[in-house]
Amino acid sequence: MKADAFQDPSALLKRAVFLSLAIGAVAVVLYMFCVEPSQTSLQKAKAELVALQDKRAQMVRDLKGASQVKDRLDAVKAERQVYLDGLLEPLLESYAMRAKALLDPLADDVGLSVGDYAELPVRRLPLPKPQSPQLYARKPIRLTCTGSYPTIISFLLRVEQKLPLVSLEAFSLNTQKDPDKQSATIVLEWPVKGENTAAAAKGGVKK
Amino acid sequence: MKAPNLHLNLLHASERQSSSPVRLRVMLPIFALLACLGCLVWWGVLACQLILVKSQSASIQKDLAAKNAEHGDILQQMGSARNVQAELDQLTMYAHGRRTYGGLFKNLANVVPEELQLLSMEIPEPAVQNLLPPGAKPGPKVKPLLGPTGTVENVTLRIVGRAPNDKPVEALMKSLEGGDFTNELVIAKGVPPDQASPRIRSFHQDTSPGSGGMRLLAFDIEYRCAERRFEK
Repeated sequence: MKADAFQDPSALLKRAVFLSLAIGAVAVVLYMFCVEPSQTSLQKAKAELVALQDKRAQMVRDLKGASQVKDRLDAVKAERQVYLDGLLEPLLESYAMRAKALLDPLADDVGLSVGDYAELPVRRLPLPKPQSPQLYARKPIRLTCTGSYPTIISFLLRVEQKLPLVSLEAFSLNTQKDPDKQSATIVLEWPVKGENTAAAAKGGVKK
Repeated sequence: MKAPNLHLNLLHASERQSSSPVRLRVMLPIFALLACLGCLVWWGVLACQLILVKSQSASIQKDLAAKNAEHGDILQQMGSARNVQAELDQLTMYAHGRRTYGGLFKNLANVVPEELQLLSMEIPEPAVQNLLPPGAKPGPKVKPLLGPTGTVENVTLRIVGRAPNDKPVEALMKSLEGGDFTNELVIAKGVPPDQASPRIRSFHQDTSPGSGGMRLLAFDIEYRCAERRFEK
């Protein structure tokens, strides 16, 4: 230490202050360019880790429940199949012909003469919240038949019994003089697959 | 003999008045150095933590990658289950809206009085579905709704016939209120006429004479049937 420093303590203080400022500046630079970015990176990495842990936990849960998911899928598919079996599928692009193929044997069983099958426009399935696409729709088929009242009703009962998804949409019976030749118009409704809705709706009444 | 003492006055006048025994010129660089060291240590700790977290992340990602294929299959199955469930829901709603009337017509034949002649029976076709948005008028620019807004469809049964007097008609109506028809027909009395069931649409002297030249009364009665409710 120089002798003048002993004589002038403020010079020492100045040097100390200068040195302190220099070291402080280094500390600030360290904080700004090393600590702060590291902290940000660490936060991001931690968030990523938490997300990954959650994802893994979810994955593990899903994997543990794999058999349940499969069982549920099988159960739901089996339950749906019951309905799918009752859907009206077009026969050579004609729903009326499919209906004829299904209903003629039932009509023959009771001795009812069905004269005509006609397709009516598809009706949309009313849902609590209409959604797109409509998975299923309702297809009315109108048939005109002639027979006695008991025959017509027997046919109706057989249809309702054999075709559990078919619903009577409309019915009209006008009595004739001959009790064995009553004229009835029956509109039966089937569920159909929804993708045919638009095409079928354009067609209108088709025989 | 007392040794002579060398006394160096190293304190500045301002320092002499300070209460701190350690000088500012010593403290300042030490504090600055400590701050700098603190930052370095902090940075080191953060770096170590970062390395640790990243290695954990890498390990988890490796684990996820290993299970990804298997998990993808399960997700696909879950998606399929949701889709099938949506289909099933719609089909269930349709099935709940199904109504059968075979039993009604079968039982009806048993309760029609002999002197009453039924001319027609009709369950009219349901009204055309209204797919217009609420308040909209039909037009080329109006986009129809995806489906009807209501989930309920009303069904009615209209019975038209003739009878020599009102007794057989009353007997028929009384029979239709019986237990055999409660599942299909709605009986609502003491309500406004437009909501009543049965509702007598007309009851008048028939213009065409019946057998034997007897004047007959013509009746036209409408019953509300159990509504079709397309709900789960």
